[in-house]
Amino acid sequence: MTRLRLGLRTRVVAGFAAGALTLSACMALVSYGLTRNELIGGRERSAVRSATFDARVVAAGLNADKPDIGGMLRTLDTGGNRRVLVFHLGKWYSRHAETASTSAVPQSLQRLVGESGQGIQRARLDGSPVVIVGILLSPATALYEIDSMRELDQNLRTIGWVLALVASAVALAGAGLGWYATRYVLRPLRSVATAAQGISAGDLGARLDPATDPDLEPLSTSFNEMVDQLARRIERDRRFAADVSHELRSPLQTLAASASVLERRRDRLDERTATAAGLVVDEVARFQQLVDDLLELARGDLPAQLEPADVAELARRAAQRRGLDPAIVDAAQPGAGGLRWNVDRRRLEQVLVNLLDNAVTHGGGPVAVRIETDGPDGAIEVDDDGPGVNPADREVIFDRFERGRSAGARGSYTGTGLGLSLVAQHVAAHGGRVLVLDRPGGGARFRIELPGVR
Amino acid sequence: MAGVLVIEDDDRIRLSLALALEDEGYAVRGAASAEEGLVAQREEPADTVLVDLMLPGVDGFECIRQLRRGDDVPIVVISARDDTHDIVAALEAGADDYLVKPVAVKELSARLRALRRRGRTVQAMASMAFGEMEILPDAGEVRIGGEPVAVTRTEFRLLCELAEHPGQVLSRQQLLQRVWEYEIGDERLVDVHVGRLRQKIERDSKSPRYLVTVRGMGYKLQR
Repeated sequence: MTRLRLGLRTRVVAGFAAGALTLSACMALVSYGLTRNELIGGRERSAVRSATFDARVVAAGLNADKPDIGGMLRTLDTGGNRRVLVFHLGKWYSRHAETASTSAVPQSLQRLVGESGQGIQRARLDGSPVVIVGILLSPATALYEIDSMRELDQNLRTIGWVLALVASAVALAGAGLGWYATRYVLRPLRSVATAAQGISAGDLGARLDPATDPDLEPLSTSFNEMVDQLARRIERDRRFAADVSHELRSPLQTLAASASVLERRRDRLDERTATAAGLVVDEVARFQQLVDDLLELARGDLPAQLEPADVAELARRAAQRRGLDPAIVDAAQPGAGGLRWNVDRRRLEQVLVNLLDNAVTHGGGPVAVRIETDGPDGAIEVDDDGPGVNPADREVIFDRFERGRSAGARGSYTGTGLGLSLVAQHVAAHGGRVLVLDRPGGGARFRIELPGVR
Repeated sequence: MAGVLVIEDDDRIRLSLALALEDEGYAVRGAASAEEGLVAQREEPADTVLVDLMLPGVDGFECIRQLRRGDDVPIVVISARDDTHDIVAALEAGADDYLVKPVAVKELSARLRALRRRGRTVQAMASMAFGEMEILPDAGEVRIGGEPVAVTRTEFRLLCELAEHPGQVLSRQQLLQRVWEYEIGDERLVDVHVGRLRQKIERDSKSPRYLVTVRGMGYKLQR
């Protein structure tokens, strides 16, 4: 079962947003409630006031014989919002006789007014909110005023919307604050990540600035110490390899010269001695290659010296150097000016020579060297006719002293076991990478990708 | 028999090189230090000198400079050092070629033969003039404004190769093949020799008038 794992940043942002929303929603609800109570209370008070006033007028009018209740009501200044109803001797009166309705005043209010002489109730009339004030004028007469609160209701609704909007805006602002805060907090982590990336890409000069934040100093200090140690160890290994190789060169010179003297007299030696001399000569040559490769590896972290070079020419020369037909080089765009790439000639040539050697040793010989371009990037593919490379071995064959176990060519193997390591190193110095693929139709395809060389 | 002087402080290397080169048909003399070598060369000049760079006392670079003083004997460096810095410094001091130890005897012998073929003079080529500069192939001479300029035979061959194709760009590899007879060689050889030549024939070697670089292509000599 996989649980959804949210990033630190997502969680912090969500937390900030939720907190801000809770707070602002509470604030909005409280202020809405208070405003509503205040506005409705005020409205009720003014309704009671005007009803009391109207009641006094109507009460005075009722003292007359044969009172004209309808006429009386018409003299009242009720404006557009109020309607006055009078219940007199079991009959309802209003300004306009035809609009008099008994259903407008709820029974509960009528009962309340009958019992206590006065009452107030909120209700809905024809879909809009009203407040109804009832005043008992005499035991048989009551006055009811219906005050429409439609406008008030609309105002409250507007306020509600505004408050809801404000609350969401605050929640958003909270999320934004969370995002900003995590950005700020995560910045040092990002610089650690950048530095670590740089180091893994081979830039051992990458360090963190310990002066940025006292809280992060332990992290940057220990990080820098770790990198220092790593750099020292790598430098020590590198220098050791270089020193060993240099020290080996002088005795190797003696061996090489002496071996050639032996070689020249091989036919004058008896069979056993001649065989031994042959072994010495061969091994001296291999030893020499090993020392060269080791030195090259030790020097490998030096930056590539880029200059424009004709890669097709370079590849043909590499083929020639290995006694192969230069016609196996297939340049996609031969063009007049050739393929000029910004590369380190010496190292790229060695890459090609080593790939060709690899194809000869393990792949039954190279069948094609293809040069391709894609915008600013270049790629070179070396195809061979061998059994291909087992997918499990496609990483390890670039390790040092890895000698193609799967190919089973160990017994007569004449390489140094460093060729493909050097390929990987040189290509990396160009900012590129090497891939091992299957060649369609069998065999292996080594593909070098060199970005931005054109 | 062609004489080779080996200036090398390591006895075993000196001995083994002597054995191997004698097999190749050279008369070899050894010297264990620069001082000894300089005396030997003065008393009985060899055709070619092999010099190691790390020598006790006077070092290889100084040894090359002193050998070069007024002499154009071909000098080949054989050193365990292969930093660009050392290679360039040795070539600038006046060496004609640079080989990194260990050198296969076949390779060394091929280099020595190529040097020997690089004669002082170039026959079958007419005199040429490039502005103030005159090249006299059959006399093995370069003159600037009538005055002869001292160039080594490698520098002279390089100049003649370029002069044979005036205004035409020759790549470093082409020059390595034609002058040094390398199938594949170190392009720094060409660059340093061009630099040395410029110091001799150009008024301002930083902005050359005759021997110009064509970036990413090679060099050409223009009229």
